[in-house]
Amino acid sequence: MKTKKIQPSRTRASRRTVMKGVLAGSLLTPFVHLRAQDSQMSNSSPLTSASHIQGVSDNEIVLGTSAAFTGPSRGLGIELYRGAMAYFQHVNENGGVHGRKIVIKLYDDTYNADPAVENTMKLMLEDQVFALFGYVGTPTVTRVLPLLKKFQEQEFVLFFPFTGAQPQRQPPYGPFAFNLRASYRQETAGLVNNFVDIGRKKIAVFYQADAYGRSGWAGVREALSKHHLKIVGEVTYKRGDKFTKSFEAQVERLNRDKPEAVICIGAYAACAGFLRDAVDGDLKVPIANLSFVGSENLLKLIVDSQEDPGQYSRYLVNSQVVPSYEDLSLAGIAQYDDFMQKYNPGLPAQWSDSDYKTFDRSFVSLEGFLNAKLMTEILERIGPEPTRGKIEETVFTINNLDLGIGEMVSFNEARRQGLDKVYYTIVDRDKNVFVPLREGEWSKVF
Amino acid sequence: MRLLRLFQKPFFGIISLFFLVAFATSLVCISAVDSQLSKEYTENSEGLARSIADSSVDILLNRDLSTLQALIDKSLDIQGISYIYITNENQEILAHTFVPFVPDEVLQGIEELFQKDPSSPVHRPLNLSGIGDFIEVSFPILRSEAGRVQILMDQDNISLKIQNAIGQQVIWMAIILTIGFFLVLILVNLTYNPIRETLDYATGLARGESNDDPKLQKLLERKDETGDLARLFQYFATVRDPEKTGKLPGEKDE
Repeated sequence: MKTKKIQPSRTRASRRTVMKGVLAGSLLTPFVHLRAQDSQMSNSSPLTSASHIQGVSDNEIVLGTSAAFTGPSRGLGIELYRGAMAYFQHVNENGGVHGRKIVIKLYDDTYNADPAVENTMKLMLEDQVFALFGYVGTPTVTRVLPLLKKFQEQEFVLFFPFTGAQPQRQPPYGPFAFNLRASYRQETAGLVNNFVDIGRKKIAVFYQADAYGRSGWAGVREALSKHHLKIVGEVTYKRGDKFTKSFEAQVERLNRDKPEAVICIGAYAACAGFLRDAVDGDLKVPIANLSFVGSENLLKLIVDSQEDPGQYSRYLVNSQVVPSYEDLSLAGIAQYDDFMQKYNPGLPAQWSDSDYKTFDRSFVSLEGFLNAKLMTEILERIGPEPTRGKIEETVFTINNLDLGIGEMVSFNEARRQGLDKVYYTIVDRDKNVFVPLREGEWSKVF
Repeated sequence: MRLLRLFQKPFFGIISLFFLVAFATSLVCISAVDSQLSKEYTENSEGLARSIADSSVDILLNRDLSTLQALIDKSLDIQGISYIYITNENQEILAHTFVPFVPDEVLQGIEELFQKDPSSPVHRPLNLSGIGDFIEVSFPILRSEAGRVQILMDQDNISLKIQNAIGQQVIWMAIILTIGFFLVLILVNLTYNPIRETLDYATGLARGESNDDPKLQKLLERKDETGDLARLFQYFATVRDPEKTGKLPGEKDE
């Protein structure tokens, strides 16, 4: 039996001729027609098979997303999408990229792996999108990555997933993704180092019992081991647990271990529930969350449910992978602020009847905005005849790109993650918003 | 249907034998199903543990723990598997599926697992307080040099599955028994009718009643023992003088 050789580097594959794309496009004409029929985002006319190759037509370029738009973690998918749409709407209103509008084909995976795999199959095989963009979550992305390898002949790339996990940052799946945000390892290392610096060496972990939680747990473990320390206690929760669920069992267990700080690796509903029960259960130590948590969603649950939210939020310290959206001195943040006000993107049309209340600004939508800004830059650089084969070499041309957030973005063969900086935030209890916690301020606050 | 006294003992004997056979078969079935299913669950778990152990080597050596976690999360969908955890060679749990925390009994039992033969699977019962009884199957990763994979099967769940399987067997046995009971009744009935007719015929002959009834003629034409008996009675009737005594043979004077 003849087996296909796996290319060690995708650069070689990227140099394949456009003819291969043409052939693939014509073979997949029936799927293309399906895509055009059911697309709810596209405003353009149906595509012709000749002009529609690899998610690109004469007047649009289609990106595919699978994320949580319903369920307990929907806030993450919705806000990431809204931030991205604020920028894409601006681009589309100004003539698009090389005359093509950027369109996002969306599917809801409820932050579960099986639907994410199914959605990705649809996006790749039926919808024939140009690239995958803005996925949400580690358990979902971890399961989707093998699909990219399986269909590597079609040269799909996953852009800027909303997860800091390792699988899309290292072999064997690293070559199929580009990341913008810092990794969970960097976030957890930053939190651990800061806690240790202020003398809080007994660190416990509250984490989601899945690949995301494990990724963060491993980051904390690794960071502590550099200080010759170990995790003093660990408790878990089931993915999808709601704010209304009791987390008293976890708090009771951690009280036994007497931690001096707790790092949470979870989504906002469960982490807010844990914070509530921790403070009520006398576990009054700094409680840190990673960027994935969805800080504003978490804070909203506490503020809406507690008479004195400050009693709870005073223990919060959240790491972020983008600067504070309050820092309007940064050009990119000012632009985000401006576009969010101007376009105020709503919920995706499919889920517009949801009772979800959007945020004017949030760290998640800011990340979505920056993802979209960088994606647009890549599409611009690919040129007027984009093919998937050109993606990788184009991304590698990005060197010290300024997105307006005070950090430069670079990619190359050895670097598939654009940013490394981790920011820390605490709650301003008067305004109930997250504000920056700068270096040297940790010991004053905790 | 009234049962002839002649058949009462054999009939109840057959039914008792039926019940005895059904009971014995049920016992054998229960024992076979119990041991077979228990063995199957254990073997399946061991197979899964072996498969995870094989996959884990590459992940532990070359990849990150979130991939390992994703691997065991997927395996939880398999029927009968309650928890999975993986320990490294330092007896530290690297990935697990326990919520809200790893039970103390599990933590305390890890050391014992590593004291066993490093190349062999280990099966042992495990009681987790407040959770239930489990069968733990442990399989070494690289002869325990890279750790071990443990799979916990809920014993209550397995027992329930076994009970269901046995219940089905017993239901089928009861159905077969009921059908058998009615079959015996039908068969007995088939024997009963000719004997009854023969008896009626003999009584009629003894009373000197007319024997031109077509039913009786049919009886006399039968090729079996009841036909022979009827013909014998007819013969006796021809050599007997019923008008002399007016009594049946063996009938006492009043």
